[in-house]
Amino acid sequence: MSFDVRLRVDERTAVIDLSGELDAATAPRFHDTIDQAATAGAIELVIHAKQLSYLSSAGLRSLVFARQKMGDEVRIAVVGAPEPVARTIRLAGFDHSIHLVDA
Amino acid sequence: MAIDYGPASTGVARGAPPPGGFGVAAGPGAAVIRVPAALGELDRVAAFVLDLGERAALPHDALYRLRLAADELATNIVMHGYRGASGEITVDGGIDPDQVWIRFQDDAPAFDPRQGMRPPALDRPLAERRIGGLGVYLAFTAVDVFAYDLVAGRNVSTLVMLRRAEPRPPGGTDADHGPIE
Repeated sequence: MSFDVRLRVDERTAVIDLSGELDAATAPRFHDTIDQAATAGAIELVIHAKQLSYLSSAGLRSLVFARQKMGDEVRIAVVGAPEPVARTIRLAGFDHSIHLVDA
Repeated sequence: MAIDYGPASTGVARGAPPPGGFGVAAGPGAAVIRVPAALGELDRVAAFVLDLGERAALPHDALYRLRLAADELATNIVMHGYRGASGEITVDGGIDPDQVWIRFQDDAPAFDPRQGMRPPALDRPLAERRIGGLGVYLAFTAVDVFAYDLVAGRNVSTLVMLRRAEPRPPGGTDADHGPIE
């Protein structure tokens, strides 16, 4: 079971590409990447999740961290999440402050 | 979705299930693994659940939810049961005509994981939310039964997913999730 996370910062938009399975064992890598994105001074965070096949509460925790670390003024979007992943985000009520796009 | 809010009673003891409970009996279709209580080992739990669900021909959606519940429960045992101490989790499961069940047994201090469940505080900004208990909430809402018993000093938690839909044809899709009731 694999997981990969990549970060690039274009202008002031941080883009994180996620693939594989985001669980308690892999979430620390996502957490660290969010930390890097916040440090880079991004004013928007776009998380590409089309290739994210699994998301547990550990991954949700990282999204809360992103909201805390980057502040309310930073738009955070999760793009292309597969239905089960998007459903978990909605069930947790995160879709009120994190934009679910193409999900 | 039917959720067992009643007293923890799973009939985990082998034999006839208690009235009104969800019985599980380790029969020929049962399998068992033992994994160290460490986050890095929980892939094996996921693989076990996915294999069992595939053999039961659970629809993809139901299997995803069963795996999620099992993952959250196992994570909870590692983080809040053993709390970093070394230990072991025994996982077995089985396929009955009407349900698939996964049972977790551990020797951490007596601990009902359901007590830590906390639904998301939707009225609070995300950045101010307390996130503890969210994993158990996800698990609880993902399956049909999430039961707990303390049996001879061991924590025994059981997850049950009812088999509602027709089995998927080989190579088929999960378009039909089946009736809810």
